[in-house]
Amino acid sequence: MSAAEDPYTLMEKWLKAKEFLVVGKGVRRADAIEKALGMARYVEDFYMPGHMLFVKQVLSTEPHARILGVDASKALEIPGVEGVFTAKDIPGENQVGYALPDQPLLADGKVRFVGDLVALVAARDFDTAIRAAEEVRIKYEPLPYVLDPLEAMKRTDVLVHEEVGSNIAFRTKVRKGNVEEGFAKSDVIVENEYRTHHQDHLYLETEGALALPELGDRLTVISAGQYPHLVRAIVSRVVGLPESHVKVIIPYMGGGFGGKDDEGPLVAAKAALVARLTGKPSFLLYTREESLIMHPKREATVIKYKSGASKDGKLQAIDVQIIHDTGAFTNRGPFILWRATVHASGPYKVPHAKVDGYCIYTNKVYQGSYRGFGNPSVQFAAEAQMDRLAEKLGMDPVDFRLKNLLRPGDTTITNQLLDHSVGVADAVAKLAETAGWREKRERYSKENGGRYRKGIGIGVAWHGISTSRGVPDWSNALVKIEKDGSVSVHTGIVEMGQGSPVSSHRQIAAEILGAPIDLVTVDFGTTDAPDTGATHASRGTSIGAIGVYVASAKLRERLNRLAAELLETSPDDIVIKDGKAYARSNPSKSISWKDLIKEAYARGVEMSATGYFFLPKGKFDDQKGQGYAYPAFSYVAMIAEVEVDTYTGKVRVLRIWPGLAAGKIINPTQVEGQVEGAAVQGMGYALMEQFVFDDKGRILNADMTDYVIPTALDAPEIMKPVYVEDIFKYGPFGAKGVGEMALIPAPAAIANAVSNALGIKVTKLPLTSENVYFLIKGKR
Amino acid sequence: MEVFFKLNGQPVKVDVKPNEVLLDVLRLKLGIKSVKRGCERAECGTCTVLLDGKPTYSCMILAPYVNGREVATIEYLKENGELKPLVEAFADVGAVQCGFCTPGFLLTVYAFLKKNPSPTREEIKKAIEGNLCRCTGYKKIIEAIELASKKMKSG
Repeated sequence: MSAAEDPYTLMEKWLKAKEFLVVGKGVRRADAIEKALGMARYVEDFYMPGHMLFVKQVLSTEPHARILGVDASKALEIPGVEGVFTAKDIPGENQVGYALPDQPLLADGKVRFVGDLVALVAARDFDTAIRAAEEVRIKYEPLPYVLDPLEAMKRTDVLVHEEVGSNIAFRTKVRKGNVEEGFAKSDVIVENEYRTHHQDHLYLETEGALALPELGDRLTVISAGQYPHLVRAIVSRVVGLPESHVKVIIPYMGGGFGGKDDEGPLVAAKAALVARLTGKPSFLLYTREESLIMHPKREATVIKYKSGASKDGKLQAIDVQIIHDTGAFTNRGPFILWRATVHASGPYKVPHAKVDGYCIYTNKVYQGSYRGFGNPSVQFAAEAQMDRLAEKLGMDPVDFRLKNLLRPGDTTITNQLLDHSVGVADAVAKLAETAGWREKRERYSKENGGRYRKGIGIGVAWHGISTSRGVPDWSNALVKIEKDGSVSVHTGIVEMGQGSPVSSHRQIAAEILGAPIDLVTVDFGTTDAPDTGATHASRGTSIGAIGVYVASAKLRERLNRLAAELLETSPDDIVIKDGKAYARSNPSKSISWKDLIKEAYARGVEMSATGYFFLPKGKFDDQKGQGYAYPAFSYVAMIAEVEVDTYTGKVRVLRIWPGLAAGKIINPTQVEGQVEGAAVQGMGYALMEQFVFDDKGRILNADMTDYVIPTALDAPEIMKPVYVEDIFKYGPFGAKGVGEMALIPAPAAIANAVSNALGIKVTKLPLTSENVYFLIKGKR
Repeated sequence: MEVFFKLNGQPVKVDVKPNEVLLDVLRLKLGIKSVKRGCERAECGTCTVLLDGKPTYSCMILAPYVNGREVATIEYLKENGELKPLVEAFADVGAVQCGFCTPGFLLTVYAFLKKNPSPTREEIKKAIEGNLCRCTGYKKIIEAIELASKKMKSG
């Protein structure tokens, strides 16, 4: 690599850009029309009935039981049935746990929740597959089971995983200073226990995969997923083929929100297993009921939180215990718990902190990745604590926060120094101003007497960018300028609605190359692209796009040198825009974009480049509970205005004001879309979405009639976001990441607003009419 | 059993089982992929079609029921150009994210704007209540409908 193509040098150069051609503009996304007109293809659109096998899942009906036998003889007698497969048929490995080796793809020896996968049935058509699945007889020896995490933590007589010897699957901690000293210095101390519940992603498209056997012992899998290379790794492990023999394509997806990062590789592995064992194309699509019963949910939590502040309004100490009900498997539980513990303080300066986190096994559906990743629940608790402390201190909640918010040069509770890109205090101040916070807060406090009571609340949150702690993270992409001047970008980032490949990636490539944006096409979600990392953790336009940024910058250096030679000037003098390259010093000297590319091909200048970048990270010391957590944090604040009907307990969110300090905003239209969608998803979580479990831990409302998400009539008015562009040195043009942000403070802001309206502290979600009604009654 | 109906203006004849729903007939037998499978119990609206011009959940309609009737999907409206201002408005405003719900929304909104070309914001919300979107929070969808209704009136 020549020195001129060193990624750090190139990133530094482009971070200084002051004027932009397309970055920062609401450029229309490339896929809007084909999606609107129903031409965009999703997984099920590739299914050809009659030419492919249909796969049906046989799920456990027991919460905890030994499998004594699986009798498939009746199912196999049905004409059209091609096979019934269980754990023993797996040619590769059955183990698919992402963080700990505790999760078989197909139950092996025992089942651990109602919905655990026992067998796969393959038949020539859908109806036959269903009939055959009903004929598979499983003999169980029921075992005692445990559903409550607090109970599970104490018991050793009932173990979800005997080999672990405890139901505590994982624990982690954060330590800073000395909390006893901190509480001794505190003039006010508040202590509460908070509870949050499961949430389902409820993407409108359920999970599906189509596996196609290819010549030469190869497989192509068209699947749901948020990381094609991870889907491939799991498929190849299960079917026992080298990764190079498996190609994964993740087409358009009807929503992901984290859920398809966990379940995508599993649905792919199931379809691939059947394809490998039968030698036939095999298609599996979850029904809505299966999706709701099986796939991992947002974690349910119990959070015990004690915090103290001195009378000058400074936070002194926090002591937090976070318990995650991880269900039958840990899945990504340890990573989720890391995030929850590190973020437990909220974005505040706290000199003394003690945080303990526990992942607890129970015989219920397991927890997993969901927009916010362990953070919405702990920010809800942290922000309720902030309001209680402000109340005791007699301070306005915004003023109290402004006294304690992190600023550049501060350290976090893991003792990580935040040397740049910390715009949260500015964002909160601006947001309070925009929302008319002081006037409303004062007015609602006076007015609150009648049946309908208004309230206003704030939630402030932070979210580390990239994977937690020192876990390696990188970016890459292949950018090619074709002979005709069109540009192809190949990335592993997927398109699940967030729009990064079809909007910001095109903008980044067009901006740096100077190429007309209409010439830029992005091929996304495929293992044909270099490993780009996952489309999760709000990284699609931040870390995930660095590859596009760096590869484009390399090509631009080459184009500048070539154009300088052709126009007889220096590379620094070259401007490329509006379809041509010219000399800044003499704009009459120019060459068209297309001719410039022709010259590159004629003169042997390579017009393809990859943009590999390995993110530099520090280390986290697990023993000390201190160290490096994330390369940077995105910050988000939200003010919510609510109206509570005190007769029925019904809460209506009237208005939401969002604020972001998430670095450079590459496409404001798309960012607004992320903010608005996340805010409403967070409102659904705070007010209406919940699962009902029976006494066997079975989900009773596994359908969209009884698991209720917001409609257009429920959605509040969402105001234009307030942006503070606190540039991050490794983000493309300084972008940090947006996708998850507005969900994280939503439960906190809404709960704090309800608390303000009623004058009652809120410690438990969801705030359904029923729960709020009893909350009010309890007070009376 | 055989069922005859008009699909997107063309007569079709298709052999169905009595318990087969229109969604499956359209997707699996007639190759209409724009009609999406979401909840399969008349809650989400991704499978919306126009049945004799009325927005209808195709997952809840038994195929024999459409015998002799007219079914239209987004493909039909695409052909006759009537949808253009609406589609352009959705694209310009940023009302399309994952796109899975979008064809269903467009059919519902198309039928609604025919009946009510100058709706209020509250009327719009009510009209689209039966179509769920998990990505956008509805704001940009509502804005796109307002924009389209203005554009359509000014011709």
